[in-house]
Amino acid sequence: MTVLVEGNLQITIPNGATARKFDDNASHGLSHCMKAVDFIVELNNRMLFIELKDPDHPAAAPANRQQFIDGFLGGQIDADLKVKYRDSFLYEWAYERISKPIYYLVLIAASTLGPAELLVRTDELKRQLPLTGPSTAPWPRPFVAGCSVMNLEEWNKQLPELPVSRVTA
Amino acid sequence: MTISSIQLERFTAFQKNRIDFSPGLNVFVGANGSGKTHLMKVVYAACDISKTQADFAEKLVRVFLPSGRAIGRLVKRQKKSTRCAVEVFRGDMKLRASFSNHATQPDSATVTGARDWMGSPVESVYIPVKEMLSNAPGFRSLYAQREVHFEEVYADILDRAYRPALRGQPDATRRRLMTHLQKTIDGKVLIKQEEFFLRNKQGNLEFSLLAEGIRKLALIWLLIQNGTLLEGSVLFWDEPETNLNPRLFGPLIDILLALQRSGVQVFLATHDYIILKEIDLRLQEGDKISFHSLFHAPETGDIACHTTTDYTGIHPNAIADAFSDIYDREMKRSLGGV
Repeated sequence: MTVLVEGNLQITIPNGATARKFDDNASHGLSHCMKAVDFIVELNNRMLFIELKDPDHPAAAPANRQQFIDGFLGGQIDADLKVKYRDSFLYEWAYERISKPIYYLVLIAASTLGPAELLVRTDELKRQLPLTGPSTAPWPRPFVAGCSVMNLEEWNKQLPELPVSRVTA
Repeated sequence: MTISSIQLERFTAFQKNRIDFSPGLNVFVGANGSGKTHLMKVVYAACDISKTQADFAEKLVRVFLPSGRAIGRLVKRQKKSTRCAVEVFRGDMKLRASFSNHATQPDSATVTGARDWMGSPVESVYIPVKEMLSNAPGFRSLYAQREVHFEEVYADILDRAYRPALRGQPDATRRRLMTHLQKTIDGKVLIKQEEFFLRNKQGNLEFSLLAEGIRKLALIWLLIQNGTLLEGSVLFWDEPETNLNPRLFGPLIDILLALQRSGVQVFLATHDYIILKEIDLRLQEGDKISFHSLFHAPETGDIACHTTTDYTGIHPNAIADAFSDIYDREMKRSLGGV
């Protein structure tokens, strides 16, 4: 079993799945011109691009936490999430490592964000990535199969086989 | 002096409840049939008679409009004979009405505390769910002369709206609120021969041509302009979100919070998440707010109320629960069954 750690958050990956830290400067090598999601996990039938945001980090200053929440509610975070996904996709595509549908999972560890706010951001991310191409002529080969913006509680409810927890309380 | 609490015993859907109110903004949430409108109507009836000096029981009948105007039909339904009691508190004063489920006439109710209560009149406005201003011409005279089947809140709101403007210049707070509203509704309200118009650069637009949401905000403008909503008054608003585009919820909540800061006690019932969240986001230090969550207690089925001053403390929250359910299903779909 592999455990992926990003700051104070950790995701346990089940046996049989492969996982790697993707935004590692040394191994990525192009961080000066391409953004990167935190982790890439490969399951039997799909790939997961995973991005973690941790405004509730125990060491986060209240002002920074609030700044993040404001940026989230105002939608400023959408562009960052979009570019991270697209750049990561291009990077992997150029290496010919994409052979399965990709799901983009964004975890926002913020106790003050509820379903309505997360739902709005999920819908907006779907629009911005975008998911299906022009409505008049949808892409035959979309570059993202699905995306979700979740809080800790929802992540663990929807993905019990990939549990996420805090490293320290 | 603001309305401090209410106690209901075997009244409509309530078995026995006491709810303490905030002197500022009171927000009722709860599923359909949890009694939000009933609560507001009782308190409104109590406020209204403090000025009109009408009989409290009679006013309850006119506001609730039970079949055959039989007051006993307002008693919580049960097989045996029973009585209900309605008590509204304001400072040291208590207005009380009690009546039996067999009562047909309001004068068979026992009303106490009315004298003191009327000795200290309070201005009040009840804005019902259905917009009335566009149907106003002729309605008031019809209502006064005939037994038309309309709850009296519909006639009362027109009485308030038709009041002429207060003499003199409005004070700074009223001016600011009116300017704010004028920007949102793009004009001022004008009354000509019982008909309401929005006056702006295009001329005079009759209310029947305006979007219903705009008519609601125009009504608030009128009530501020004519001095009905001043310090010490009480505003009741049932589902302000009805027919209003969510973009206007923010300005609307700003107005309600500003009224609360200027000393107006506000009661509103809502089913809308954005209304709740806008209140939470626009609150300022010093604002006085209570969220009252009405629900059927799982053990008894009776209506219960949980009051909190904090948005996150609203429990149960039928509105958020509905979102939560949608969110769960959307995540499940988005993840394609991982």
